[in-house]
Order: sequence, then structure tokens, then C-alpha cells
Amino acid sequence: MTAPRDPHAPVIVVRDVRKSFGEVKAVDGVSFEVQSGEIFGLLGPNGAGKTTTMEMLEGLTGPDSGDLLVLGLDVTRHAVAIKERIGVQLQTAALYPQLHVSEVIDLFGSFYERRLPTSRLLDDLDLREKQAAQTKNLSGGQRQRLSVALALVNDPELVFLDEPTTGLDPAARRGLWDLILRLKADGRSVLMTTHYLEEAEAICDRVAIMDHGRILDIGTADELIGRRFKEKAIQFDTIATIGDASLAQLAHVTRVAHEDGATLLYTADVPATVGALLDVTTASGVEPDNLLVRRATLEDVFLELTGRALRD
Amino acid sequence: MRSLISLSRANLKSFVRDRAALFWTLAFPILFVILFGTIFSGGGTPSYDLGWVDQDGTPAAAELRSAFAKSGVITLHDGSLDDEKTAMRNGKVDGIVVVPAGLGAAAAALSGGGQPSPVSLTLYTDPTRTSTAQALGAIANAVAYAANLQLSGKPSVIGVATQSLQTNQLTDVSYFVPSILAMALMQLGIFASIPLVQQREKLILKRLNATPLPRWTLVGSNIVVRLVIAATQTVLIVGIGVKVLGVQVAGSWLAIAGLVAIGALTFVSIGYVIASFARTEEAANGMTSVVQFPLMFLSGIFFPLEIMPDWLRSIATFMPLTYLGDALRQVMVGGAPFVPLTVDLAVLGGWLVVCLGISARFFRWQ
Repeated sequence: MTAPRDPHAPVIVVRDVRKSFGEVKAVDGVSFEVQSGEIFGLLGPNGAGKTTTMEMLEGLTGPDSGDLLVLGLDVTRHAVAIKERIGVQLQTAALYPQLHVSEVIDLFGSFYERRLPTSRLLDDLDLREKQAAQTKNLSGGQRQRLSVALALVNDPELVFLDEPTTGLDPAARRGLWDLILRLKADGRSVLMTTHYLEEAEAICDRVAIMDHGRILDIGTADELIGRRFKEKAIQFDTIATIGDASLAQLAHVTRVAHEDGATLLYTADVPATVGALLDVTTASGVEPDNLLVRRATLEDVFLELTGRALRD
Repeated sequence: MRSLISLSRANLKSFVRDRAALFWTLAFPILFVILFGTIFSGGGTPSYDLGWVDQDGTPAAAELRSAFAKSGVITLHDGSLDDEKTAMRNGKVDGIVVVPAGLGAAAAALSGGGQPSPVSLTLYTDPTRTSTAQALGAIANAVAYAANLQLSGKPSVIGVATQSLQTNQLTDVSYFVPSILAMALMQLGIFASIPLVQQREKLILKRLNATPLPRWTLVGSNIVVRLVIAATQTVLIVGIGVKVLGVQVAGSWLAIAGLVAIGALTFVSIGYVIASFARTEEAANGMTSVVQFPLMFLSGIFFPLEIMPDWLRSIATFMPLTYLGDALRQVMVGGAPFVPLTVDLAVLGGWLVVCLGISARFFRWQ
């Protein structure tokens, strides 16, 4: 058996890993760590090297150089022992088309020493109704859920999810987010890739932003945003009687902008500016409607880091 | 072991639920058997042409000749043994009776009250033409029995010895049942490439690689599944041949099972070679057709090699199916060998080893 692991040791350690396919440097010197119990996201556009990084950790592809440790074990030397303890969901749900849902779960369960009962997985992933359906007849969301069920069949400590919500409608996507958050609540660690910024912000504890095979920055969403954008924006429905010039005079306001009928005041000190704004509006006998404070998003961070928007 | 069993069950279920695969591997060969059976075992009163080689030339031989002629279903053709053998190979006669020198002397000795040395008629038949061979054997024995009674009533002086002579006749299901079994095993084997390529294309092989499942289990389960299907095919095809078409199975079931397993493995290894080079399912489908049809029609499984033109025969000698068909015919119905059984096995084994080597070198899991 494996030696007892320090529960606080990182579940994944990646040190200066490189991998080329011919001339293309898919992963070009990547280093990061995933802590036990966290949801860690690799965020980047297609071709950034997210999937290659993940497949090296899963033992599907060997690195050209660098160190890969999963659950404290070297991936190149202990691939089978690691595979026994991790759960893997590939980008494309690879399922036997003619097998029934419960048959596929049983099949994958038979590959592991340790396994969860099929009926529990059917319930947990809301697949009970579809248990006797052939997998080729499942909807996109059902396929994704089955694919996650297969990743959980061995009750893994660490789960790899490669773009789990790509191609899903918004409702199915939210359902899967809840599911991923439940994995964390169960004490599992999760490494996931995504090219959805709101997904990374909504469920990842920490995010590594990848582009062209490199990691550009790592941190919580707040850290990534805070490192670059000190200011926040105060937004309210534009008030015709108060001109931009007087707004620009308010305490700590650095800039005034307009967007879809709303006025934006950029400031480094939200309370002071809000106070000043309310003084002005009260004096004018009006009230600012739909008042809210907006901060920069990961989208802005990505734009700042790469010079282009993530959405294509 | 547990994963080997569950993976084999999963692959078998996938196979059974795939209607197209089921049709081509099970229904298609059975349709073939029934089709050929209907064509070649057609009804009507049977009649036989029999070559008559009289090496004795005495009145006793002439008397025996008329006894054969009187059976009503036999037309006799006189000639030398060589002439009649040629005639039989070319289908002009169904069998040959040779009356050896000494029949007249034996008859004379009997009527003189002496003790003659026994005389044996030789009957040439083609054992792959089961029903004809049986009928001629029965007629010859009946005639000899009657002649013995008539001559003396004493223990048989005239006996019948049977000899095999392979003919070029396509008129018996005994020739076709082993051929169709060989064809079915060939299809089963090379069609093994399709699910492999499918599973690679759908990333199922990659997904399996992300589990602790060892590779040998994957290969092993493919082989288990193909052998199970091969056994099903054999039972169905041979069963219909025996029960419906009256084919006589001469060889032991153990020998047949061994040969079926070797044949299936050889063609599965060819299937792996196809899967090594076909990147998409469409490519695999194309390549199996390219391999399948020449094997089917240039291997002498439906046309005996003897009647092929020389150039075609030299192609057939390269085809592994030629040897599987030959071996199955020898073991199942006692067909005349094209090459000795050991050579058949050696050729199949050679193909197996070479194809396994190529697959080991070029097969890609993802």
C-alpha cells in the first residue's frame, strides 16, 4: 500500500514541464501546484496547452521534460497506482454506444480495486431514469453526467475534468457546476480546464491562465483581478440633471464613462465616492437608480495578459 | 481476470446489439449454406454414371457388369482405368469400378468345387460428394453380395474395396460447408478491425487507457469475443450442414474446434493489421472490403484449385484462406488434400506470426 500522505501536501505538483508535437510546443515550461481539497482551473483558449497538461498528469502522454507528481507519486513511474486513485473525464465523452448507462458504469467499476455502487452513482448524477438507455441515445448533458459518473466510479481522491461543460445549455451547465462543487464538499480535489471565464470565476478556487503553452498568471479570481485592476466602477442609471463634469469632481473618481444608459464612475475608494455621489444626488433631489459596484472580471484580466479577448 | 470477463461481456453485448455486424457474421454465411444446399441437393430420382474397367475379360466379369446395369440407376461407361479416372475428375462419371484379373479364374475354381482366393473389386468415389459416394458404395456392396450368393452361397469371394478420388465436381454440399465456414471465419477475423477502429476513433481506447486496466486485457477480451463468435458460427454452419443438408462430418469435433480457433486467430491478426493502418472507420470498412473479396474469390474455397487456370492458382497459393479451407475440408469431410494438413497449419501459423509482428509495431491506441 501507499504510505499515508500528508493531507495538506499538494495533490498535484507540476515543475517546468515541456511537451512538443513535432514543431509545435504544446506545453512550454509549465509549473503549478494544486492543493488538497481545492478546485483548480486551467483557463485559456483552445490550443493553449490545457488538455496536453492534463493528459500528462493522467498518464496518457509522457512529458518531454520536467516533473509531474500526482498524489505524491511520480507519474512516469507509478502510472498504474495513480490511475487506481484518480478519476478522469476526457473532453469527448468516450462511451460504448450500444451499452446501457448502468452497464457502462458496471464495466468501468470492474477495472478498479475500490468502487462506488452503481446505484449510488445513478442517483448522485441523476441518471436513474436513463439507466437502461443505450448511451448513443443520451442528450449532451446526460452524456456529460455519465462521463462524470465514470470518473467517480473508483471513489477517487482527485478528479480531472476536461472542459466538462462545453456544448451544454445554460441549465445543464449550472447543474454540472453544482455537481463539481459537491465533489469538493465530499473532500475531493478537482483539476479542470475551461475556456469559460464565468465558469472559472463561479466554481474555481484558483485559476491558472494559459496561452500558447505557458502559464501567464495563477491565483484566486480576486487576486488575479486585484493585481491589475485597483479600481472598481460605481454604476447607476444616468441622471440627466447631473453632468459628467460635476461627477468627475467627486472624491477619488478617476474617470467617468457611459454604457447602455448607465453611468460608470471609476474609483480606487468605493465608500468615499459613493458617499460623495449620494451627497450630490440628495442635493439635486434625485435618487440614483440601480446603483451597484462593479469590479473588473477575469475577462479583463485575460485581455490585459494576452492583448485579446478569450471569446472568439 | 474480473476486468477481462466484464470487458469481454461488454464487447459481446456491443456486437450482439450491432445489427449490421450480426448480419454479416452470422446470418450471411447461413444464407450461403442454405442457398448452396438448395442448389446442389436438388430433388429428382438420382442416377449415376459409373466407369467400368474390366481387367479380367471373362464371362464372369460380363455377368457382374450386367448385374450393375440392372440396378436401374446406373449407366456404365467402359474404358481403361486412366481414361475413367480422367473422366471422373472432369465430372463425366461419378465413380469407377475396377474388376481385377482373376475373377473368372475364381469363378471357375468355385464351380469346380475348389477353394478360390478372394477377389476384390475397387470402387473409386469422391468422399466430399457424400450422398453419391454412399449410394455407389451401397450399390456395389449389394451387387457383390448377390454375386457371391449366386456363385456359391459361401463366404464372400468377391469383396469391395473403396478408394478416394477427389473430383472437380461442385455438386455437393460437403465441399461447400467447410468452405463457407472458412469464409465466415475470415470475415469474422478481418471485421474485428471495425470495432477496434471505432473504439479508437470514439476515444474509448484512450479512456480505457486512463484506467488501471492492463493492455493485455484489452487485446485478450477482443480475442475471447472473436472466439466465442467463431464457435457460434461453427455450430450454426456445421449444424445446418449436418441436420438440414445431410453432410457427414468425418473428423473429430476437437480437431475441428482447434482448427476453427487457429483460423479465427489468424484472420483476427489480419484484422489487427487493418486496424493498424486504418485511421477512420470508413477507411477500415474500405480496407476490409479490399482484403475480403480477393480472399473470397481467389482462394479456391468455392472453386477447386484443380480447375483454376495456372495464373489464378498461383495467386490462390498465397492466400491464407486457401489453406484454412483445405484444412477444414480435410478434417471435416475427409476431402482430398491440396497440401498436407501440417503445411496448412504451418502457412496459417506463419500468417499469424507475421501479422502479429506488424500489429505490434504499427498499432496505435490513440
